[in-house]
Amino acid sequence: MTPRIIVANLGVRLKSFYRERSAMFFTFAFPVILVLVFGTIFTKPEHLNFELPVQDNSRSETSARLLKALATDDAFTTTVVPVAVDATEYAKEHKLNLLLVIPKDFEALQKQRVTGPHAGVPVPVTYVYDPSSTAVQTKIQLLDTIVAAANQKATGSPPAIKLVAASILPERYRFIEFFVPGIIAMAIMTSCLSNALNMNAELRQKGILRKLATTPITGADWLASSIVYQLILSVVSTAAILLVSYFVFDVRLHIGIWLPLIVIVEVVAFVGIGMLLAPFAKEAESASAVANAFLFPMMFLSGTFFPVEMMPAFLQTFAKLLPLYYVNEALRAAMIFVDDAATLRSVGVISAFAAVVFVAGAFRTRWDEGT
Amino acid sequence: MPNTGPAIVVDKLCKHYGALRAVDNISFTVKAGEVFAFLGPNGAGKSTTAEVIETIRVPTSGKVTVLGMDVTKRKAKVVRRIGVLPQNFSSFDRITVRESLQYYARVFGCRADIDALMDLTNLRDKAAAQFNTLSGGLKQRLGIAIALVSDPEIVFLDEPTTGLDPHARRQIWEVLKGLKERGKTIFLTTHYMEEAEVLADTVAIISKGKIVAIDSPAKLTEGHGEQLRLTLKSIDATAVGLIRNLGFGAVQKDHDNLCVSVKKPDDVRRILEEIERSGLKLGGIDVRKPNLEEVFLKLTETPVAGAQDRAA
Repeated sequence: MTPRIIVANLGVRLKSFYRERSAMFFTFAFPVILVLVFGTIFTKPEHLNFELPVQDNSRSETSARLLKALATDDAFTTTVVPVAVDATEYAKEHKLNLLLVIPKDFEALQKQRVTGPHAGVPVPVTYVYDPSSTAVQTKIQLLDTIVAAANQKATGSPPAIKLVAASILPERYRFIEFFVPGIIAMAIMTSCLSNALNMNAELRQKGILRKLATTPITGADWLASSIVYQLILSVVSTAAILLVSYFVFDVRLHIGIWLPLIVIVEVVAFVGIGMLLAPFAKEAESASAVANAFLFPMMFLSGTFFPVEMMPAFLQTFAKLLPLYYVNEALRAAMIFVDDAATLRSVGVISAFAAVVFVAGAFRTRWDEGT
Repeated sequence: MPNTGPAIVVDKLCKHYGALRAVDNISFTVKAGEVFAFLGPNGAGKSTTAEVIETIRVPTSGKVTVLGMDVTKRKAKVVRRIGVLPQNFSSFDRITVRESLQYYARVFGCRADIDALMDLTNLRDKAAAQFNTLSGGLKQRLGIAIALVSDPEIVFLDEPTTGLDPHARRQIWEVLKGLKERGKTIFLTTHYMEEAEVLADTVAIISKGKIVAIDSPAKLTEGHGEQLRLTLKSIDATAVGLIRNLGFGAVQKDHDNLCVSVKKPDDVRRILEEIERSGLKLGGIDVRKPNLEEVFLKLTETPVAGAQDRAA
């Protein structure tokens, strides 16, 4: 391995990368966009605010109180549904997945419940809903909670049981905190694997490998250059993801010595895999296909976007065979749970894996013949 | 260290790909300082042979030494003393001419005079142009400049002018002549006869993995070529019989034209007189001295249309 050659290779690759704007975009901007999009969709569930169309047939003081109760805590913003229309038809027509109907005799019934002959009979308030909607369950639960609170308040006695939350995490842990380490791991994997494969296929197809075979560059020089190059890209990409996460979502993640260490072993592991797969991707077209065949299952089954625990048992077992799973575990153990022992376990698995593919990749990377 | 022995010695070289014998037991020697042209049709095995010598491919059997060093055992030493323009040369798309040269100079760890190399290959005004913006001829010239970066003793040029227009081709030849004057040993593979005739000291013709002839261009044309080639233009096909009756068997039909191989100028006169006597209309004539192309076609020929005319 010659440092001079590694520096020369790095120069050429970084210049090419910088001048190829589309490559820049996919490497740096794509993960950042993912963080922005998913972060915006899933973050801050404590400030959820749903629109709740209400058909107030009662239009009384009592119904106004109910509407006010619904609007407190910012849980719902109520909108008015005309009294004259059929609620079910209206919901269908306006694609509403939840619509609350307050009966015309709401106030009268309320009064009867306290005094009249029907004392103690609950007053029905109907909700019209679309059971095929996934989001509606959350709304219904929220509605239940508010109604329960209202009921409890009406009876005047304090609640018998009160739930107190105690998180297993040192700090508040939201979806975005779970998501960002996953995106870091995914961005590094994608960049290493597809760059290694595409670069190799391109150089092979264009005959540049044949030229390089007649120079003093060795397979080890090439592998080392690739690793250093990918490390530089990975550091920049990780920094971009973290900066955006901090400034936009105010994430609370622990950044320590583990992060750079995990980035290094991940880069070595995936550049190694790329080198091993290179002989199966001799043309640019097959390079993308081979890369995607590995990238997509890893991305979706290793807990990048959602916790592995959400998957059926056999897929969870399968996930534990994927290197990215351990990168995700390691990053989350280090950045969210701040659990050194757990981080070390996962880093150990990736390191062993990285060592094996690196050695195999170094053996496999030969200029002559295969070119 | 100066090399006084032969530049390249190829001894009983074989390269097989499964059942295909791409290179089948060939031997030859390239003298130091000469331009050695390796001539053959596509797929004859010339690039495979060149790539074994360039250390890119491992031979199936046989021995190749470059400047006294075995290419399979001392690859690292050999690559430092040769410069290679591979077939279909290409470089990094977004890297400029100057940067490419600097890159290869760094890889070889040598202090190359980049400006001088660009002058030699006439690339000075393209120094800041990225590779993907260069024309075919400019790309090849950059490839030659890169091959010279480490000031090698032997320069390999694998089909340096394939796919180039005649003007670009001549520019490459000028560069190669300049190299020859500097005393470089040049190993040139080509399927253009003219290229070999203009540049080479020695020509080896390879066909189906075997060397079929090896000599200087002059001796090859003398030894294998017919002496004169007479072409009768726009003539009626009945002339074939006439000419054969005069005792010239080798008559080829080429569209409206007839080609006759003859020994001496007097034969040409006899044929023309006979045609005049017969009253056949003749569009024109052309008499050519033999060239390497004919030798090449003769030695590497496979049965093609027109061969049956010659068989008579």
